[in-house]
Amino acid sequence: MTEIEITKGAIALIGYGLAAIGPGVGIGILAGNAVQAMARQPEAAGMVRTTMFLGIAFTEALALIGFVLFFLA
Amino acid sequence: MDLEILAFECETETDVVCTPPFVNELFETPDVFELFGVGVNRAMLLMFLAAFVVIALLWVALRKRSVVPTKFGAAIEGLVTLVKDEIATGIIGPQGAKYAPYLISIFLFILVGNLMEVTPFINFPITSRMALPAFLAILTWVIFVFAGFKEQGLGYLGHIIWPKDVPIALRWLVGIIEFVSIFLVRPFSLAVRLFANLVAGHVMLTLLLVTGYVYITGFSNATFNGVFGVMWWALALAIFLFEVVVSILQAYIFTLLSAVYIQTSVHPEH
Repeated sequence: MTEIEITKGAIALIGYGLAAIGPGVGIGILAGNAVQAMARQPEAAGMVRTTMFLGIAFTEALALIGFVLFFLA
Repeated sequence: MDLEILAFECETETDVVCTPPFVNELFETPDVFELFGVGVNRAMLLMFLAAFVVIALLWVALRKRSVVPTKFGAAIEGLVTLVKDEIATGIIGPQGAKYAPYLISIFLFILVGNLMEVTPFINFPITSRMALPAFLAILTWVIFVFAGFKEQGLGYLGHIIWPKDVPIALRWLVGIIEFVSIFLVRPFSLAVRLFANLVAGHVMLTLLLVTGYVYITGFSNATFNGVFGVMWWALALAIFLFEVVVSILQAYIFTLLSAVYIQTSVHPEH
């Protein structure tokens, strides 16, 4: 591997790390609020869980796109 | 883990003992044999195996209709009921029963394909090749676009590119954003989500297991490094269990999002 390739890989790795910050915070907030909702209203737990998974799926996509771009770079 | 990754290039003269192959080797699937001029590789064979497993599971479980089902039959029935009630009719509504067979098929197929990642001696999730998630996402795309045109006619496209509930000055901008997000971003993110999750798990498991293997076999000081190797394998075992959860969750999420997309085109927002 040449020096440029190694540098490119390192920069891509940093890019992936940056891409993971937002979704990490987002999923934390989302799951925390879902737990709170389920604790306050256990009878709505099923609905909250489905919606939580949906939200996680949408939020997670950003981190995963960063992960894919890391391989493409 | 392909077996090829275990083919280390070892240099005994220098301090560097072994260089494992580059990680890109995980993404290459050489042809196993050729059939009528078309190369057949491992991923294709496993794809057929997954389809066969799904058919066999359903056939064995639901072949005999009895009042009291067997334990296995009850388990599969529970799975099918989950998709049919929770996802199909639960999200799409009464019209969802029409889409239940499609949702059940992709759920079981993705589930079996994902679980191949943690199946011993296969250790290769077929959904970690972009072709398969992309194809499934395009299938969902075709179904929700057709459902939209069938339920709402040309108004389906009209609602998207000229939304009536937005101030008129902003309609063109919202329309463009909506158009791109519905017709381009949706299938892309659907495919990438499944693909990237499985690739991440696959690479992670490979790295942990290969590291353990290198520690145990690759060095001369076997006892001390062996302890480290076993620790790596213990970590790999924990990740194995995590990957089982990820596999099931990703199959569920793919099906759930397909249902949500179909729902948005069946029921327009009033």
